[in-house]
Amino acid sequence: MAFWTLYKREIVSYFQSAVAYVVLFGSALVQGAMFTIILSLIVESNYKEQSILQIFFTWILFWVLILVQVPLITMRTFSEEFKLGTIEMLLTAPVREWDVVLAKFFGALSFFLILWLPVVLDLTALQLFSTPPPPIYWSQIGLTALTLVLVGGFWVSLGVFTSVLTKNQIIAAVLSFAFVFAAFGLSTLRYFRHTDANLLNWISYVSTPEHLENAVKGIFDTRPIVFYVSVTFFMLMLTKSILEARRLKG
Amino acid sequence: MIDVENLSKTYSGFRAVQGISFHVEKGEIVGFLGPNGAGKSTTMKVLAGYLPPTDGKIKIAGHDVVTESIEVRKRIGYMPENVPLYTDMRVTEFLRFRAELKKVPRNKVKERVETVKQLCSLKDVENRIIGTLSKGYRQRVGLADAMVHDPDLLILDEPTIGLDPNQIRAVRDLIKDLGKHHTILLSTHILSEVELTCSRVLVINRGKIEASDTPANLTKLVRGGGSIILEVKAPAAEVTSKMQALPDVEDVEMILPADGDWTHAKIFAKPGVDVREKIYDVVRQNNWPLRELSRVKATLEEAFVELTQE
Repeated sequence: MAFWTLYKREIVSYFQSAVAYVVLFGSALVQGAMFTIILSLIVESNYKEQSILQIFFTWILFWVLILVQVPLITMRTFSEEFKLGTIEMLLTAPVREWDVVLAKFFGALSFFLILWLPVVLDLTALQLFSTPPPPIYWSQIGLTALTLVLVGGFWVSLGVFTSVLTKNQIIAAVLSFAFVFAAFGLSTLRYFRHTDANLLNWISYVSTPEHLENAVKGIFDTRPIVFYVSVTFFMLMLTKSILEARRLKG
Repeated sequence: MIDVENLSKTYSGFRAVQGISFHVEKGEIVGFLGPNGAGKSTTMKVLAGYLPPTDGKIKIAGHDVVTESIEVRKRIGYMPENVPLYTDMRVTEFLRFRAELKKVPRNKVKERVETVKQLCSLKDVENRIIGTLSKGYRQRVGLADAMVHDPDLLILDEPTIGLDPNQIRAVRDLIKDLGKHHTILLSTHILSEVELTCSRVLVINRGKIEASDTPANLTKLVRGGGSIILEVKAPAAEVTSKMQALPDVEDVEMILPADGDWTHAKIFAKPGVDVREKIYDVVRQNNWPLRELSRVKATLEEAFVELTQE
């Protein structure tokens, strides 16, 4: 019950801040532009090798967008509570730290997913207004959505974690960008020519772009699911511990 | 209601609170007095379950604040110093959020929020955004928040700081009213407020309890519960020596400047002893013309200064 109250408050507070609308607007703009460019490329050169989803979710612009979105969403979660002092008021109500952490996390994750609604609208419009409508592959769409939720969850948990470390939102945002970029950057190791095979194997376990590439092709793999769920959970545990430690310190 | 046994709190080597013990009965309004940095806020934070004690045992309504923190927090309304609030929320929205968070039953939320808005005179700002409210209103929003779940115990850290005299009076009346059904522990610097509202005072200084008594009894402790003013026509030295010869007199001070031959003196007696009669006897034996003999009651302010100054 405390979770729902806190979660509702998180969602409402996103829509009460100006930053949220800026991010929402920017995301919709970038997604729309990407979509338009890809669509015109496909139409003009009659490109049939990859689906529109495949191109969209493997384009570097897509990753740039997420890398910017996550810190902007998560930077205020805990930092603002510490700065306003409201954390004292929050934690002297009969709520558990865990409720607070989960509410902040799911609130941020929900907002992150809302930021990806424009691309859903774009795809729906494509489906409705093109003749004949392109074929729909539900397994690809479903897997892509699932992967986006999992990756979003992990990266948002990194962002929430950095927010609990400081009362300065800017520091939280920079730290969170660094963390998320590091998590993403691991995958780029595969482009180095002399990386050994063992390491390559290991990298593919944690390589987010590779996971999404597979998902948009419709390849189901349980390993990334286990990976994301466990690291997200780990980061949330860590966030809860830091929250407790900061309170104990006074 | 509150049982504190040997509470200590250490922040990175600094002992803010050093082994204090006190009890507060149900229905009491207890004032927590002390200079800045004495450990008042720290003690209140520990009682509210925000900070864990370094040492000691604290029970609120029979529940331990460390091991049964959630149970304790359900029963207290805590208003922190400086009243942190979500500045982007509207007053009613905020109070509803807090009521839900504090587990007010769903069908009672609306009613409770209305009640506390009425009690704290917030009706005319109920739809305003908290960030745009004045300090006085924010203070009252904080107070409304503290009591929205009708807790047994209210812990208020400086509830009247930053208010104007009218608002202070309103809050004081509100606290007195609340005291009929709630137990209240409040900290403040305004001593007249304590005299008017509190049934008992705890004076804390450098992390230790210096005194715990009713405001009236505390003032009696101050150098005999006040001093005696004497004005006679006699040499100052003679008056001083004769007064100091009295068995219960501790000190004699001159009030300057003197008016011609008149000697104006302030006489301090031992605690709890009234020496006016003996002084009068001395005056009569010496045939000094007498112009004034009166007792000045000590104020709580004097008690405070004496208890907390080295």
